[in-house]
Amino acid sequence: MTVLEEKIPPATARPAPRPAARLLPLLAGAAALALLAAAPYLVTVSAILSLEQVAAFAVFAVAANLLIGQAGLVSFGQGVFFGLGAYTVTLGWEHAGLSFWEGFALAPVLGAAAAALIGLVALRARTLYFALITLAFSQLFYQLVEQNTGFTGGANGVFAPVVPAWMESPVEGYLTLLGIAVAALLALWWLYRSDFGLLLRASRENRARVQALGTNVYRLHLLAFTVSGAFCSLAGAMFVVYNQGSNAELFDWTTSGQAVLMSVIGGMYTFAGPVVGAFVYQFGHDWLVRYVSDWQLVLGGVLLLVVILRPDGLAGALRRPGRLRLSGRLELPSRLRGRK
Amino acid sequence: MNTFVTETVSILTNAAMLFVVAAGLTLVFGALRLINMAHGSLFMVGALTVASLASGLTGGWGFAVALIAAVGLCAALGAGIEISILRRLHDREPLAQLLATFALVLVAADLAQRVWGTSDRTVATPVAGRFSVGGAVVPEYDLIVIGIAAAVALGLWLLLARTATGWRVRAAVEDPETLSVGGTNLALLRTSVFALGAGLAGLAGAAIAPLESVGPGLDTQIIVAAFIVTVVGGLGSVVGAALGAVVIATVEGLGTLWVPSYASSAGYLVMILVLAVRPWGLFGTPDR
Amino acid sequence: MARFNAQRWTGLAAALLMCGSAAACANAAAGTGGSGGAGGGSGSGGTVTIGESTTLSGAIASLGQTGLQGVQLAAADINAKGGLLGKQIKVVSADDAATPATGVSNVRTMLDADHAVAIFGPVASSVASAEEQITNAQQIPIFLHTSNDIGLTTTTYSKYVFQDVPNTVMEPRAAADYLATQLHGKSVTIATFAPNYSFGQDTVAGFIQALKAENVHYTLVKQEFPPLGATDISSYLAAIESAQPDYVFNAQFGGDLVAFTKQAESYGLFAKTKVIAMYDYSVLQSLGSAAPTGAIGFDRAPYWTDDNSTMSAFVDEFRAKYGDAPSEWAILGYAAVQQWAWGVEHAKSFSGDAVSAALSGASPATILGSPQIRACDHQTELPEYVGTVSAQAASSSDPTHLWDTPAFEAQFDQIDYSCAQMTALQK
Repeated sequence: MTVLEEKIPPATARPAPRPAARLLPLLAGAAALALLAAAPYLVTVSAILSLEQVAAFAVFAVAANLLIGQAGLVSFGQGVFFGLGAYTVTLGWEHAGLSFWEGFALAPVLGAAAAALIGLVALRARTLYFALITLAFSQLFYQLVEQNTGFTGGANGVFAPVVPAWMESPVEGYLTLLGIAVAALLALWWLYRSDFGLLLRASRENRARVQALGTNVYRLHLLAFTVSGAFCSLAGAMFVVYNQGSNAELFDWTTSGQAVLMSVIGGMYTFAGPVVGAFVYQFGHDWLVRYVSDWQLVLGGVLLLVVILRPDGLAGALRRPGRLRLSGRLELPSRLRGRK
Repeated sequence: MNTFVTETVSILTNAAMLFVVAAGLTLVFGALRLINMAHGSLFMVGALTVASLASGLTGGWGFAVALIAAVGLCAALGAGIEISILRRLHDREPLAQLLATFALVLVAADLAQRVWGTSDRTVATPVAGRFSVGGAVVPEYDLIVIGIAAAVALGLWLLLARTATGWRVRAAVEDPETLSVGGTNLALLRTSVFALGAGLAGLAGAAIAPLESVGPGLDTQIIVAAFIVTVVGGLGSVVGAALGAVVIATVEGLGTLWVPSYASSAGYLVMILVLAVRPWGLFGTPDR
Repeated sequence: MARFNAQRWTGLAAALLMCGSAAACANAAAGTGGSGGAGGGSGSGGTVTIGESTTLSGAIASLGQTGLQGVQLAAADINAKGGLLGKQIKVVSADDAATPATGVSNVRTMLDADHAVAIFGPVASSVASAEEQITNAQQIPIFLHTSNDIGLTTTTYSKYVFQDVPNTVMEPRAAADYLATQLHGKSVTIATFAPNYSFGQDTVAGFIQALKAENVHYTLVKQEFPPLGATDISSYLAAIESAQPDYVFNAQFGGDLVAFTKQAESYGLFAKTKVIAMYDYSVLQSLGSAAPTGAIGFDRAPYWTDDNSTMSAFVDEFRAKYGDAPSEWAILGYAAVQQWAWGVEHAKSFSGDAVSAALSGASPATILGSPQIRACDHQTELPEYVGTVSAQAASSSDPTHLWDTPAFEAQFDQIDYSCAQMTALQK
């Protein structure tokens, strides 16, 4: 963790918010959490099912956004780790006799290991090349999983009663996922707000200056990629509770693309943005698919409007500088911002 | 000997098709610093246009007319997209532009399904003959595809290397201010390049139509292949796209002979290997 | 199918602009807007809902779209005759985009919000096996009328699963049986060509296994596995062409097979080599006059080989409504709904347990005759058809080249696993 201890004086790194401003996000978070915990008793089953997916995708999107929004590394390959997490649970059950929770605990570990190896290669490329090399990893894994039918179940996926029976009911499944999601998001929130998060944002704004200040940016990004991979893999394991299994499409670049979409729709420069994005995207998608035959048309149209009219995403719209920091853009100390 | 000739021609044909698709993509990137994900959608529109016109127009000349119509339609759509949407996003980060074109992929998929339906269509091959070289069969239409690719390559080279417009296209990224002061209408230049790229996507779709089942799904089938070729060659480089097309086609072709089960993964592996060694592609320029 | 309407658009706008809870409410409102389902089927009047979640967009959309037409037409026909147990059937449908997670989401909503009493099958086997997890748990019958992986009636089987099409074991065996009858002990060279995923790999393996079982003297000269949905397959084709096999067994389907045929034709492959592939109605219709005369096709339910009056009446009705002859997907979807309706009538209930019990081992009358539903795996005992692509168009108005009649009919008990084998696999 030497990367974290480089020469950014922590005391002056963040302007201290006023006490009231510090309470607001806490209150808002608590209210949202209470509402979410009560949700199964307020909404229809189909809404709970969408919420189950949102829990997994919120973790996925926030973890991916550590790269996309914070470090400025647009990855189209986070689906690799999402799929890996899901398959760790199902294949662990099928081939190694692991219980659901054993597979669940193993998922982030394997995710981190895979991310460290892939990051080593992928991070040599920059900007759009990075986006496309991660996309290539996504497609490579997708192909390999789909073809090696004997081990992975191929295109048919692995659908089996791997999830403990008590979690199969939507309410219990959702509440469990909600608990895990809150814990994972708190950990990520701590990471976003740590000096590590600060350095990542600095490297997004001005890579050369961070490098000049003595931080090895390649190693910094590799660490971020590894951490993100671990959390994406955790999210994939969570998704098994909803999906009741794993399938090859989880590796596909379109899964990776979903994390990017959620981050952008919600607002990628904020912490809460991807969570909002996961909500809006999943409910919008589920609802459109069920009730509108031209669902892609509407989804595309809405996405276009968001991209053109709301550059900071939906959460960016709520932003009041220095106050609602959960959704406000996480600012950099001015001396690090530099010029582009 | 048989196998050698057959494989060589098929690799060349494959490379030719990949090049025509990738040329438009890389051209647009070179002048607008934009990755157009809707390139595959324009490709599909080109193929579908030929499929719906070809039933009325028979023979080689009928096909040529349909092909020109497809190129024209796609170029017009491209100009429309650039003026109405992409122009607003020109100063934004690359991700915003990427997502806007991805949104267009979704919109185009449903619109195409509305207009052309879900059933697969076929286009009669304008030149159905074949001839024999050293005992190996060579379809005549393959030569036409290779010819189209050669014409596109030559045309783009002449345009970019030998004309003032080409010089402006290259300068549009490196030094837009000077260009603007010098009296160049940058907006018009960008629209024209995007329309040309879209037209090339339509041309590729039209040229491939007689060898394909033309229907929904063509858009996503082609776009990833086009990305691989463009990235391996280096974004923005037409020469790179040509070389990338040959590399990918060769690797796939040899893969089908030696390791048939893994040939479909070969393209991705090549892309990863190339970027690991040269992170900006074979002919690209390092991006800061 | 639900069409786009202004009210829902407003709901969507609200959902997208407000936070998640607002979205949940809009969703709840939309969910309860549907008709009340009939859980146990008590009382008459009202409607009963069945769900069809299938692939309606992308490369395999044509299979899903025509399958849905078959299901909707069957429901309309039953409704016209007074409905089922006094209730009108309502079909809810949704696009799964060939993605298991979306299929799961659709089916769960159909069951929980629309109270669907039966689910009709998706196109992709992966989606089907994901959906089986849901229907098995909720004890709702699922009728698979397109996807046919053997795993669907073995590893993920429950008594609520009904397989209404010949499965992945039966199809290649039928083709191999037909080949054996043609060869009379002659030795031949064979190449295989299949999309590179489980369906393609299994079908090719099944074909080779069946050739061995039939004691066909063959040499395997080439095996190629292009990716599913590959745009350009010329290098794979070149490899096949230079091996110069007597026969090519091709496990592609739909648009991929159309593309194969077009490109193989440009190599002149059909002149020297007999291609065996799923030349069904939709593929032959797409190919039109470019159909490969003399090639060997197999099809799960070709309407033109069945000359019973029920089928011809159905074909006329389908043509009148949709303008085209029915594809096998439409026919099988129609027959699946007929099976379910028969089960409901005999059980006098919509409950999954009662319908499953009524159908198991029964022989419901459908447009495909009255094949039995085998008790051990709920496989409908259908034959698979094999025929030669005709040199003539079907009629002056329809340019489609169908098969020469009579077609070869591979009998069910010749081509499927026995119950003992299936039961062993189900463990």
